[in-house]
Amino acid sequence: MGNVRLELEPFDPAAELGELTRSAAGAGGIVSFVGIARPEGKTGAPVERLFLQHHPRLTIASMREIAGQAASRFGVEVRVVHRCGDIAPGEPIVFAGAAAPHRRAAFEAADYLMDRLKTEAVFWKREDAASGSTWIEPTQTDYADRRRWE
Amino acid sequence: MKILFYGRLAETLGQEMNLAVEAPCSVATLRQRLVEVEPSAADALASGRVRACIRDTIVPESYLIAPHDEVEFFPPVSGG
Repeated sequence: MGNVRLELEPFDPAAELGELTRSAAGAGGIVSFVGIARPEGKTGAPVERLFLQHHPRLTIASMREIAGQAASRFGVEVRVVHRCGDIAPGEPIVFAGAAAPHRRAAFEAADYLMDRLKTEAVFWKREDAASGSTWIEPTQTDYADRRRWE
Repeated sequence: MKILFYGRLAETLGQEMNLAVEAPCSVATLRQRLVEVEPSAADALASGRVRACIRDTIVPESYLIAPHDEVEFFPPVSGG
């Protein structure tokens, strides 16, 4: 499935949107979300890099499962690209796009994709700063956002 | 028994460990053995949010691990 990819190197979100637009010819609307590595952590301290550890099999499997559910639940075409490894501040972490006949399904599918990727995609996320490293887990808000779709 | 750790768990326990365990043993028993081996990992391993995974499937605490199973321990996952 070329529309769900794990990337070790930086990727271009505009190119991903372009691919989705070409692939979804006939769609009435496309919604895309790009997650970007923040330059600062929760405390405001500068982040030197984000490290996303992945699992050799389960990470891509989880991404495919989430993308497949979004496609069938909302009747959309989806494209999901996720970085792993070392990510510099300002670099894209994730692209989640949904193309649909009408806008509502595309907005909802993109929202759904991100709520599930945040809490269920198999990654372990660490922020490295000059003062030390912190493992980042989903917040209660992230889990509450995920439950909206149950 | 080969055991793999991910995320913050790997910092205290290493990414991989080979541990002599009498099989079959439950996931809960394996956790206790790991705490005996590495007491500093007690809090991290005791968390109800750390899940065990065998053959790419999350398994419950009562699951009996076979002698040649590889066990992976996952802290909470987070993408995006």
